[in-house]
Amino acid sequence: MPELRRDPIIGRWVIIATERAKRPDQFSSSLVEKEELGPGEKCPFCEGNENMTPPEIYALRKGHSLPNTPGWEIRVIPSISPLLQVEANIDRHGHGMYDIMNARGAHEIVVESPAHLSEGQLPKEQLVKGVNVILDRILDLEKDPAIKYVLVFKNYGKAAGGGHIRHSRTQIIGTPVNLKRVKEELVGAKMYYDYKDRCIFCDMMKQEVKAAKRVIIDTEKFIAISPFASRFPFETWILPKVHSCDFYKMDRNDVGDFVDIIKILFAKITKVIGPFPFNFVLHTAPFRRDVGKRGHWETIEKDYHWHIEILPILTRVAGFEWGSGFYINPLPPEEACKSVREAEISS
Amino acid sequence: MNELRRDPITGRWTIVFFDKVIPPSGFAVEQHAKNKDNCPFCWGNEAMTPPEIVAHRKFGHENGPNWSVRVVPNKFPALRVEGELNKEGIGVFDMMNGVGAHEVIVDSPDHFKDMADLSLAETEEVIWTYLARSTDLKRDKRFKYILIFKNYGRSAGASLEHPHSQLIALPIVPKRVQEEIDGAAKYYDYKERCVFCDIIREELTDKDRIIYNGDKFVAFCPYVSRFAYEVWILPKKHMSDFAGMERDCVSCFAKALRNSLAMIKGLLNDPSYNFIIHTSPINGHDRADYHWHVEIMPKLSKVAGFEWGSGFYINPVPPEIAAKNLLSINVEDK
Repeated sequence: MPELRRDPIIGRWVIIATERAKRPDQFSSSLVEKEELGPGEKCPFCEGNENMTPPEIYALRKGHSLPNTPGWEIRVIPSISPLLQVEANIDRHGHGMYDIMNARGAHEIVVESPAHLSEGQLPKEQLVKGVNVILDRILDLEKDPAIKYVLVFKNYGKAAGGGHIRHSRTQIIGTPVNLKRVKEELVGAKMYYDYKDRCIFCDMMKQEVKAAKRVIIDTEKFIAISPFASRFPFETWILPKVHSCDFYKMDRNDVGDFVDIIKILFAKITKVIGPFPFNFVLHTAPFRRDVGKRGHWETIEKDYHWHIEILPILTRVAGFEWGSGFYINPLPPEEACKSVREAEISS
Repeated sequence: MNELRRDPITGRWTIVFFDKVIPPSGFAVEQHAKNKDNCPFCWGNEAMTPPEIVAHRKFGHENGPNWSVRVVPNKFPALRVEGELNKEGIGVFDMMNGVGAHEVIVDSPDHFKDMADLSLAETEEVIWTYLARSTDLKRDKRFKYILIFKNYGRSAGASLEHPHSQLIALPIVPKRVQEEIDGAAKYYDYKERCVFCDIIREELTDKDRIIYNGDKFVAFCPYVSRFAYEVWILPKKHMSDFAGMERDCVSCFAKALRNSLAMIKGLLNDPSYNFIIHTSPINGHDRADYHWHVEIMPKLSKVAGFEWGSGFYINPVPPEIAAKNLLSINVEDK
C-alpha cells in the first residue's frame, strides 16, 4: 500500500509509491553526461584563463599575485549571464494589477579550484577554503541593504540545470525580495515554535536519531538524514546539530567537519548509484537589519535552523509536480538511507 | 535589463529575461521515439491493461478494440482505491495510507496523434470523458481533490509514448492548489472580486499576450509566466469547478485547448509538455473567489537549484514575445 507522508515544516504531502518501488541500485546514474568541451573551447574557470570572465570580485591568493591573473586558490567572479545585477537602483512599480521590479541583486560564482577539477575530485583542504570564501561573501553581501536574502546553490549535471563544464563552483545569488519557498519554510517553523516553544528542526533531529531509520551519517557537529517526506529518491538533508538559523555565522572551526560530512555523503551515494545529477541548496535565514523595528520577526533565531538540501535528479516528473505541488517518490527514504549508510567507501 | 514580475495570486516572483531572449528554435527539444510495438494503449492490446473503467465504442465489446477514448486504472498506481482512509502521527510527522484513484485516459487509438493533432470533435470527446470521470469520482466521500493532467514526452514524465491523460483522486488538497486557493481568497477578501476574472480583464485590455479569444474561453501567455511559452486557458464566465462546466462550453474549451497545443507543437518543434487542470476542491460549493483553469507548461528548460531553493522562477522568454510567436502558427479549424 502506498503511503502519503507530510512534511512537518511546510505541510507538503508526498506519496511514497511502494507499487512502483525499485531497489536503490536500480536508479541509473546514466543521466550524468560526460563533460564536453567543444573543439578549441577553453574552460573560463581555469587558472590562466582569467581574461575570459568578468573582472573578479574577490580572490583568495597565495603570495602577492595581481587581481585577474594566475596565483589564486579560490576566485569569485560575477556571473557571465547574471540573473540579477548589482548596478541598478531598485525600482518597484505596478502595471495594472501586476507588480514589477527591476532585476537588482547580485549573482556571483565561487570557483573552487584553480585546476580543472570537478566537485568530487577536490581534496578536503581546498573545499574548506571554498566554504570559508562563501561565508566571507555572504558577510560582505549583508552590507548591501538592497539584498534581503542570499541563496547558495550548486547545479550539477544537465538534468539538474548545470552547465556542460565540470569545473567545481558554487553560485551565490542575492535577491531584493524575500523568496516564497523560504518564506513558507520560515512560516511553517514559526507556527510550530509558537505552539511548542521549540525548534521543529531540532525536534525532528532528535526523533530521527531515536528512530534510527533515516539517519545516514551522525557526527559530533552535523547529521545527514533521508527526510521522512523525501520528494526524490536519495534526497538528503544535512543539518548542524547545534541550533543556529544563520549559515554564515557558522563557527569557522566547524568548516572542516562540514566538508567531511558532505564528502562522505556524496562518496556513499555515488557508491550506490554512480555519478548523479543534483541540486545542492542552502536554506538559511534572511538578513535581519530591522531588529527592534515594527514587523521584525523576533523569534527567527529560535525557530529556524539552517540546513542543506541535496536533491538528486533521477526521475523525470518535474513539470507535473511543479504545477501541483504533489510529489511521487518511488523509493521509500528508509531504503535509500539504508543503502547509502551501508555503502562502504575507502577513506 | 531583466524584469522581476510578481504573480498576483500566489505572490511568487519570476525573473523575465529581456537581455537575451531565446528564439523559438533555440531550445534543445527532445525527439520523441515512436514505436507502437506492444503498446498497451493501441487497439488489439486491451488485455495488456487492467480491465477498462469506461470506453466509448460504437460497436464491439468491452475490453476489445474499436473504441475512440478508453479509461483504464493505472497499472502502477500511485494510490489505491480500496480501503478506508487512515491517518496517523509519528512524533512530528504525519502520514496517511495511500487511498485514492489513479486512472489513465487514452485520448485516441492513434499512437501517433497527440491532442494537438486531434480534430475538434475528438478533443471534445476526451473532455467529455474528463467530465464524466470527475463527476463519478466526486461522489466518493474519501476524496478531496481531483487532479486531471497530461504528461507528454519523456522529459515531462510520460513513461508510455502513446498519448494519454491521467486522473488522480486524492484524499488531500495538494499544496500548490491550496496556495492558489488561499491567494485567491485573500484577493477576494480585499477587493470582493475574483482575481482570475481580474486577470482575464487585464489580459483582454492589454491584448499583447492573448493567443485565443473565443466566446466562452480565452487562452494567453500569462503576464507572470514561470516557464517559456507557458499558456493558461480560462472560462470567461466565472466558474470554480471544472466538472460543473456547462454542456455548451465544451466545444469552445476543446478549441482553446487543442489550438493552444497545436500552436506550441508547430512553433517549438513538438516539445514535451505538461498540462494541469486547476479546479476547486470537492465539496466546495461554488466559490466566488476561485476560477478553474488549465495551465500548459512546455518543458523547454531544466528547473535548476535556484528555483528549487527559492520558489523563484526564471523565464527566458517574455510572455509578450511568446504570444506573438505562437500566433504566427496557423492552426486548422477542423
